[in-house]
Amino acid sequence: MAIAVFFIAAAVAILGGVGVVSFHQPIRSVLSLVLVMLALSVIFLLLGAQFVFAVQIIVYAGAVMVLFLFVIALLGPARELGRGRLRYQGWASAVFVLVLLGLMWTMLQGVQYRQPDKTDLNFFGTVQSIAVGLFTTYLYPFELTSILLLVAAIGAIYLSRKRIDESEGGPAEGLRPSAGVGGNLPPHQT
Amino acid sequence: MTQIYNDPIGHWVVVVVAMALLLFVVLTATAYTVWFERVALGRIQRRPGPNRVGPYGLLQLAADGVKLAFKESFIPEKTDRIIYVLAPTIGVAAAFLAWTVIPIGLWGDLQYWIADVNVGILIIFAVSSLNVYAIVLGGYASNNKYSLLGGLRSAAQLVSYEMALGLALVPTFMIVGSLRLRDIAGFTVSWGPYHGPIPLILLTPLGFIIYLISATAETNRTPFDLPEAEQELIGGFLTEYSGLKFTMYYLAEYLNVITVSTLAVLLFFGGWYLWIVPPVIAFLLKVVLVVFLYIWLRGTFPRLRYDMLMRLGWKFLLPLAIANVVVTAIILVAVT
Repeated sequence: MAIAVFFIAAAVAILGGVGVVSFHQPIRSVLSLVLVMLALSVIFLLLGAQFVFAVQIIVYAGAVMVLFLFVIALLGPARELGRGRLRYQGWASAVFVLVLLGLMWTMLQGVQYRQPDKTDLNFFGTVQSIAVGLFTTYLYPFELTSILLLVAAIGAIYLSRKRIDESEGGPAEGLRPSAGVGGNLPPHQT
Repeated sequence: MTQIYNDPIGHWVVVVVAMALLLFVVLTATAYTVWFERVALGRIQRRPGPNRVGPYGLLQLAADGVKLAFKESFIPEKTDRIIYVLAPTIGVAAAFLAWTVIPIGLWGDLQYWIADVNVGILIIFAVSSLNVYAIVLGGYASNNKYSLLGGLRSAAQLVSYEMALGLALVPTFMIVGSLRLRDIAGFTVSWGPYHGPIPLILLTPLGFIIYLISATAETNRTPFDLPEAEQELIGGFLTEYSGLKFTMYYLAEYLNVITVSTLAVLLFFGGWYLWIVPPVIAFLLKVVLVVFLYIWLRGTFPRLRYDMLMRLGWKFLLPLAIANVVVTAIILVAVT
């Protein structure tokens, strides 16, 4: 049963991946990527990782891909141009796929598949076990990652702020990003 | 019962019967929520509401359903037909999927659920976060400026309020110590001589208020129905939809209202526990009361402007929810 679900999910994930690169309309590529995310979440669930399953859908399918969709809907239904490919791209990709398959084949030789030792699968992927890991063993990486995300968020806000002219009564001097350091250049300088 | 459930074939029979039963009950409940809303809104606006089809207008929904089913199913020109048809089905599927983890108390200790998972509430968040695809894709594929504007507004709105919605529930999880919906609904305390269930709204009233507001925004209900704002966007993402596809959107919307009301009952009003009242009746009563609260909101509040909506979400509800989490954590540490 689990094997059947795994193969269905894996096939859906691969088909979605093929769809991402082969569709010409960007919106269909985005939807294929959503399909990949959903299939991956099913595979996480098969591994007993319930929490990662839910978070995979909430974060990737529910938030990240929605922003992709937002941008594409905002830019309008443009079709990707079929031209402009490199010469022999098809042949080169086939060669690379074969090389990659060979590499994976050699790497996977001698790998033994077994259940993890001494792991209670009823507890393994639960919220409690993930929380114990995050707040004891991996506390410092966890907190450092959150600081990294905060820095990225502040940087994004700073860079995307429009430069407001003084004549229009913008915010006070100290609140405004100065030209040259950040913010968009005024039109006459570009 | 346990024996049937542990048998591999019996297990499947139980699950299929449970799902079919759920489909029937939830669809009927959705239909009568629409009727209930129309009657309640009518009373709020001092008019009778539906009262012609059947006794008290109770068959109005059947008549509407037949009418919608026989309408022409229109697909706009020069659009992506697959996505246009796919969008409403995503909405209905997401709305139904949430019910896989919702438990319902039936009688005594007998309870109903399809899946009793450790991350129950997170799964509801996950599937309801897919709801935004229905609206954005519908708006995009309609090939209509108003639809597109409605879809884009909705994407921003749903993503913004999801944050406040999730954080509003964190104090509840901290108090109960579990994300499993049955644990939260069956939360009991031992305070001095009192030992028994307690509605969590008494412990996190602020969480309930934030949840109520954000959930209204998440379901696109009236103070926050900017994606479909009739007066300015004609109907937003719904403009080009007709017939059964329109019905699907409508169904998904009301199903989501029932889902968030049921969640409110499970998370804040002690689920199916109400003194000596049989669980199923108590549960139904509480859900109807919360649904009425949503209808009441719709009947009394004007729609927010778009920038006010965003300001409310990001600058008021989100900081309030975070403060609520911090304060609850401090109190919990002090008490225990």
